[in-house]
Amino acid sequence: MRPELKEYHYDWMLWRILAPASRVADGSAKELTHMYRYAPYFKGILQPILQEGAVGSTFLKMMTRYMENLNTAHRRGKKIAITTFCFSPAICYALDVVPVTLEVVTAVGGLMWKRGTFDYLDYACEIGFTETSCSSQRGALGAYLAGLGEEIDMVLCDTPGICDTNANAFAFAAAYLKKPFYHLNYPQGLADQRTEKYHVDDYKAMIRFMEEHSGNRLDQDRLREILREVDRQDALLADLEELHRLIPAPLPPIYNVFNYVGRFLFSGSPEYTRLLEQMVKKVRENVVARRSGLNSGKEKLRAFLCYIDHYSLNWNFWNWMDTRGIAHMGGILSRGFRDNACYTAELPGSSYSLDMGSLETMLDSIAQMNARLPMVRSIRGPYDQPNMWLEESLAVAKMFQADFMIYNGTPGCRNTWGMVKPFAREIEKHGYPVHIMYADAFDDRVESWAATQERLNEFLQVRGLL
Amino acid sequence: MTLTAGCDVGSLTAKAVIMRDGRIIGAQVVKSRAKPEISAKEAMAGALTAARVALEDVAACVGTGYGREKIPFVKEVVSEIACHAKGAKWLVSSARTVIDIGGQDCKAMRIDEHGEVIKFITNDKCASGTGRFLDVMARVLGISVDELGRLSAGAKQPVTLASTCTVWAQADVIKYLNSGIAVADIGAGINIAMANRVAILANSVKAEHDVCMTGGVAKNNGVVQTLAQLLGRRITVPRKADPQLAGAIGAAIIAGQL
Amino acid sequence: MSKAMLEIFYDAAEKVNSAAINAWKAQGKKIVGNTCSYVPAEIFHAAGILPVRLRGIETDNMAVGDTYFGPYICSFPKCILQLAGEGRFAFLDGAVITPGCDAMRRLDECWRKAGEDIPGIVPPFFYYFDVPHKTAPHGLDWFKEEIRRLIQAVEQHFHLSITHEALRASIRQYNQGRRLLKQLEDLRATPEAGITGADAFAVAVAGTVLPREEYNSRLAELLQVLEQNLPAVADGKKRLLTMGSISDDMDLIRLIEGHPKALVVAENLCFGVRYEGPELEENGDPVAAMAQGYLGKSTCPRMYGKYQERLDILKQTIARAKVEGVILQNIRFCDLHGSENSLFQRDLEAMGIPCLKIEREYGPLTEKGRIKMRLDAFLRQL
Repeated sequence: MRPELKEYHYDWMLWRILAPASRVADGSAKELTHMYRYAPYFKGILQPILQEGAVGSTFLKMMTRYMENLNTAHRRGKKIAITTFCFSPAICYALDVVPVTLEVVTAVGGLMWKRGTFDYLDYACEIGFTETSCSSQRGALGAYLAGLGEEIDMVLCDTPGICDTNANAFAFAAAYLKKPFYHLNYPQGLADQRTEKYHVDDYKAMIRFMEEHSGNRLDQDRLREILREVDRQDALLADLEELHRLIPAPLPPIYNVFNYVGRFLFSGSPEYTRLLEQMVKKVRENVVARRSGLNSGKEKLRAFLCYIDHYSLNWNFWNWMDTRGIAHMGGILSRGFRDNACYTAELPGSSYSLDMGSLETMLDSIAQMNARLPMVRSIRGPYDQPNMWLEESLAVAKMFQADFMIYNGTPGCRNTWGMVKPFAREIEKHGYPVHIMYADAFDDRVESWAATQERLNEFLQVRGLL
Repeated sequence: MTLTAGCDVGSLTAKAVIMRDGRIIGAQVVKSRAKPEISAKEAMAGALTAARVALEDVAACVGTGYGREKIPFVKEVVSEIACHAKGAKWLVSSARTVIDIGGQDCKAMRIDEHGEVIKFITNDKCASGTGRFLDVMARVLGISVDELGRLSAGAKQPVTLASTCTVWAQADVIKYLNSGIAVADIGAGINIAMANRVAILANSVKAEHDVCMTGGVAKNNGVVQTLAQLLGRRITVPRKADPQLAGAIGAAIIAGQL
Repeated sequence: MSKAMLEIFYDAAEKVNSAAINAWKAQGKKIVGNTCSYVPAEIFHAAGILPVRLRGIETDNMAVGDTYFGPYICSFPKCILQLAGEGRFAFLDGAVITPGCDAMRRLDECWRKAGEDIPGIVPPFFYYFDVPHKTAPHGLDWFKEEIRRLIQAVEQHFHLSITHEALRASIRQYNQGRRLLKQLEDLRATPEAGITGADAFAVAVAGTVLPREEYNSRLAELLQVLEQNLPAVADGKKRLLTMGSISDDMDLIRLIEGHPKALVVAENLCFGVRYEGPELEENGDPVAAMAQGYLGKSTCPRMYGKYQERLDILKQTIARAKVEGVILQNIRFCDLHGSENSLFQRDLEAMGIPCLKIEREYGPLTEKGRIKMRLDAFLRQL
């Protein structure tokens, strides 16, 4: 690692970049133009956010708040847990533990810095990670393993048997840093009684673990408050999803990130609710004006990302979609599978509901909610089983009238690379052209954005889509 | 006045060194042929001619490198990791970490004061991070490997390259060239990609001062300087002899200890 | 010990269609394959079915494997799929897939999808056995239920009945083999070592495919001969331990022992004593005994969070077998073992035990030269 990078903590640097950015967000257009001159390296990432007005400003404030919480956690006597995007942080807020969602923290570095999290990615390999392991955790985790971040107090994940490379990153971190570790484990089925019982038993054991290592007891009223906030958020998300079905789609492509980043960082917290409220407001305005969310205002195609997005520098991927007139119809990360979401109608047994009647019903609700986070919901079993990846992708693509699909992940993604070829073949049989990206969503050194973009364009051309 | 010899038959080049009392009196580098025994003979013949001695005069010869089992005139064969360590120690006596980048592999070693290996690691991926990577890239740019090494100095905004696969990196370079990006920025990007791969290995053995670099790539200043930045340590490139000879020198030294 | 004594073990370890498998089929009896050490062999044994561990030996290309699996996937399941696609597993009446790791569990889809293109390659009994990743009470309960369901599925498919009585008898039979293997390990730990790593490994791997009764009696004979006159195999050699990703690769052991100073005296692999695991409880509920034996005591890295336990076991083995160097290998794309190997390297080297870490491909041993170069340097270091 470059010696100069060892001077500062990674999470502190992100905070110091985001905090001033969020402060200028409410400035006038003139002020912003002036400010960009002083931040030439960050203009590329800031401009598309600030262009979204109140939504962008709320997003930046939310991100700043998150980084502030993280960087000041120990000073405020709180414990820090590293977790994953497949895990709802709501329980952390209920137990007053500060969650670090590694993949999001890695993605922020990748979007913002020209050299992304390369040094941290490589550092993790130097101390023993395989180079073939997933970059999504490795970027941010490399910094924490190097001692270049707030000290981690506990490790939580829920991916064994769903994404081994993810689970392995957390297990490695726990062994390397000698920190307590708990992993939720999901069976291959989703909605049968036996599986749901396992979800709850395992979740309860995790709460006991968190209580032990945070020194906090789970408070029923606090949990109810968090779940009420989740309920509000789910209702707003259901609205957004319903509106997103319109042609042209009224959501700008970048909203897809705002949506899930908020959920992965702040589920059950008012910060995320505020963001969603702003998003719904803006989208309704677009609907009234019959405006596409795209900058050009002209929607040519609708793409469904059957897996994740691509976090290359300066929103390269979203800019590409926007300039080519492609509306982003979401991906595996975007959807929460609450029972009021429009797409769940086609997928019986896929969703969860919230019951805040008693502690037991709340624990059951949050355990089932957690079991429906990305990947742990539909990548857990063979892809062609009920409720799994194929059914979900087809139902969602149909619901949102997608024209084609893009698979993008990381070379570390053993769980999807293990079957993405037959999966794509079956999707194609249903009439959706599928482009398989060989890039790494978090590491431009695997395939440069220039090459990725060329392959995407080539696909659109060869398949006669544009 | 004992004469010893070392012969290092690598994948791209074969090297032979004749030493007398700890000094090199003859050396030769030749391009590897399809058969390692032929490469070995050619290199050794050249070294003997330069030293003005005959093979019969040599007390012992040690063979190393991929083709080591096929060299006809050696007394013993020794792993090139051990030979490179000894050779590097001879080239830079203060060396405690050795980074050797050959044509098709790359190794990093930590050594003790006698040049014995304490810890080592070698790359086990594809050609990226090896001399071959630079050869391929230089050819795409239409320049020599030496020129490629000098490009870093003049770069303003080095490009990001696919660094885990040589074929993909090559495609990137072509794309950047076609889109009119300055050759210096592409060249610097290539050297950075290379240095990145090597840095992972060097850090894996926990590099200590002094860090010495051997092998053909040591002659590429762009890679050496970028690597020094990444490691945060000065890197010594041997001046005493061609850094490419390290393996053969080590073999000749070991021959003297037999 | 004569070569002839070892022949049956080598035949079973190195051939897909071994003599034992052919003989079994010739009697008109059934065979069910499994892909992981979590499938209780006793269930099949009790049903009169031969359980065999599926392996990817004898592959020479990956045309089928690469068609269904993506590029960033371990070559072990690819080799199994390759053999299946080539019809080399025609002797199978069934196969049980487990979520041993991501690549292995995807064998379920890839094998079935390949079967749509190449008819007849999917065995009639094709079963997904959902092994949990934890030994907490709810994990063990889940596993017990999985075992019950597997028993029921076998009974239904093969029209037979598996009684608890029969299961207990099978457990006793398998326990005997476990004890014999342990005896072999004890011999290897003596100063003489008594048997080369390659021979011992062939014996261990053969245990996963040979009919148990035959295996037990052959192994008992071998042990008797060895114990009578223990050959001093270790004479002046460095005592090594191999561990890491799944490996049934005789060539790798041969390559290591090809060095005049190297002898493999122990393994920590999911073939051999670790696979056989501890003995199962012979009395009481056989389902509970199998759950406890196969999952409850498992310390495979796929269980996560068990590093310290694994390290402790490893330290014991090293001390017992007087191991002087450890070879940590992983198959490319095996993150579980790959990253864990680095932790082992860190901790073992801190104890003064040198380690060599190598990444390799499963299947026909390639990169022999590169591995040999590193082995040579490692042994020089020792």
